[in-house]
Amino acid sequence: MKAPVAIVGAGAVAPWGLGWRGASTFIEAPQPSRQLKTSHPDVLGFEIPELRPEQDAGDGRQRKLMSQGARLGAIAIREALREAGWMEGREDIGCFMGVGASGAHMEEIPASLEASLHDGVFSEAAFGERGLYACNPLFVFQLMNNFSLCHGAILEGIGGPNSAFYSRGRGTWTALDEAIAAIETLDCYRVLAGGTDSAHHAVTWAELRRDGLVNDGLKPSEGSAVLALERQSTCPLAWISSMGVGTVADNIPSPDAVLLSVWNPVTLQSLEDEMRLRWPQSRIYRCEFGEALAATPALAWAVGLDLLERGCSSVFVLTQDVDGWVNHLCLRSDR
Amino acid sequence: MAQEPNEGLALGKHRGVMRRRVFVRGRGAVSSFSDAWPSTFQSLAEGHCAIRPVTRFDATGFPCTVAAAVDRHLNAPDRRLALARDAAREALEEASLLVDPRRLGVFVGAESGRAAFGTVLALARAAGGGPQFNAHSFAREALPLASRIEASAVSPATVASALAEEIHAEGPVQTLSMACVSGAAAIAEGARAIRMNQVDTVLCGGVGADVDPLMLAGFGHLGALSAVGVSRPFDTHRDGFVVGEGAAFLVLSAEPGPLEIELAGFGRSLDAYHLTAPDPEGDGMARAIETALKDSDVTCVDLIQAHGTSTPLNDALEARALRRVFGDALAHIPLSSVKGALGHWIAGAGALGALCAVESLHRGYMLPTAGLRHPDPELALDLVIGEARSGSFRTALVNAFAFGGANCSLVFRRLA
Repeated sequence: MKAPVAIVGAGAVAPWGLGWRGASTFIEAPQPSRQLKTSHPDVLGFEIPELRPEQDAGDGRQRKLMSQGARLGAIAIREALREAGWMEGREDIGCFMGVGASGAHMEEIPASLEASLHDGVFSEAAFGERGLYACNPLFVFQLMNNFSLCHGAILEGIGGPNSAFYSRGRGTWTALDEAIAAIETLDCYRVLAGGTDSAHHAVTWAELRRDGLVNDGLKPSEGSAVLALERQSTCPLAWISSMGVGTVADNIPSPDAVLLSVWNPVTLQSLEDEMRLRWPQSRIYRCEFGEALAATPALAWAVGLDLLERGCSSVFVLTQDVDGWVNHLCLRSDR
Repeated sequence: MAQEPNEGLALGKHRGVMRRRVFVRGRGAVSSFSDAWPSTFQSLAEGHCAIRPVTRFDATGFPCTVAAAVDRHLNAPDRRLALARDAAREALEEASLLVDPRRLGVFVGAESGRAAFGTVLALARAAGGGPQFNAHSFAREALPLASRIEASAVSPATVASALAEEIHAEGPVQTLSMACVSGAAAIAEGARAIRMNQVDTVLCGGVGADVDPLMLAGFGHLGALSAVGVSRPFDTHRDGFVVGEGAAFLVLSAEPGPLEIELAGFGRSLDAYHLTAPDPEGDGMARAIETALKDSDVTCVDLIQAHGTSTPLNDALEARALRRVFGDALAHIPLSSVKGALGHWIAGAGALGALCAVESLHRGYMLPTAGLRHPDPELALDLVIGEARSGSFRTALVNAFAFGGANCSLVFRRLA
């Protein structure tokens, strides 16, 4: 980063609800759901609350084509644009998103399977001839990861430089880095950067369990958050003053608050101890809204923004994803 | 052997700001024709077509029963990685650069891989096997099955991560998962990282390994594939694309090399129109092309490596977008699409187009469009048909346009 970057708007949809204001209140008293509506028996996790139709993405027909990540991403993009007041010239706004595995609607698979049987045995020929016709014709496109970006772009008319970075967290930091680079190099003057994902998809959940992450303390979550950025602003919500890899940030004065979003309880405690040693005057917060993979970093940025709104003048946000990558950024307000 | 940097060429001025230039140092590809790029290019230049009936599985009853398949690494747990590794190795061998690992990045365009089809079906049966998805049953039965799905074989990020580890790259490692734009976008991101002085060298490209039942049935179900099994971009009788697979990689560097070709600029945009249909005005496509030209400080190019999928819509709209940008000059810019010969590589498509453009600039001849017999007169394009066309080409435009509306255009320039 050559210079601080202005955050002029933000959008979020998360276990705390719609919007980013109030997010830090939620993490101080989180309420995990016991029986996720995706029916993971006896799983402690987090999920977004019911949304009113006008809060949701698109209309019912459009939502049928969306994976959960695409749906949540579209909501967060809309909210960020609204708050930034970016109603005109959207064809020039850039959009860089961290995305996860799209995840097709699992309900489609049994119907497809039934139609693919021939004499009780699965037949590839039958699959091609009628199997996929038995389900949503855009089923295969729910698997396209970049649709987590495209649905929101289509609904909101976003047409500028763009990328969708696939990961379980790290790519969302790349999205922010690329978004900032896009406005620094004048590829565009206004840019959206965020992440969207859900750890609830049945296959994702099975993989997280298989990888032992659940045994190590991972709680599944979902959400999306998007920041609206400009190079300069006279009245931004906040500034991103620096960002980087790892826990060490050079030449950063002691922040008012340190926000840690780390899914592993042991690592979280270790990092908290490190932060207390480094900045004994700073108040430390833990992001307790579960692990939402590619959405997690962006959700943490949103919580950091809310801490500034509540009176902090600077927040150090640090996340570690399920693959071990650690990234940070520094937020400050003009107050 | 390390190359001495050429300070005189290393920087260029753009919009009044000095920025690093980006040069092509290595090329590599694996295709249905060959596991070596020179052979593949030769087959393309001779107008050969790699599209054949699918034999890897029983495609009887599928909407389209042909593809440009690669008969290599058929038993690899992750064919995307296997194909990408071969192509990357070839590109790196040509580049032959000594690089500080911290200044070496990897940028890959890739979509999700797929578990063995049998495992996917077993997962579906674990979900109850009946007409309704049973989440409780799935949660109970899927865990042992999930162990059979190697996460690495499915994750789009696997290819970039594995390549980075194998070549000891400690710089940025990115996976662009953007459907048909993935490979071109990865090249653009790699170039950007060099310009921003984050790295000095990048391995970048894309890979597609989509000749499988799900993708053939899925695209066919959408009506996107050719019902007659012919890929003929810009042809009057074009009726859809044919799936292909392969990997294409470039090594880009801040140092010029023997090829004397640079990636001069790139442009990206979104249609913001529809999931599967492009903007009928070609506005998004035109903006990506215009941005790439401005980024390169050129107003026209000498050849166009088109996206050219052989679908009625894409080809018509690509022609419209090109006309908006180049006007009457378009009629004199030779254009071709490699998808007539090698099918549509999806995530690898843009990278293959980039390789073709680079090679055409290097060798001085433009590839023909295989499968094209009756150029659509309404498109009014200077299409290269039948055999390669020689010329003194200095600049090349490469287009990649994706389902979902993402667009990416690249401009390459020969220095001498």
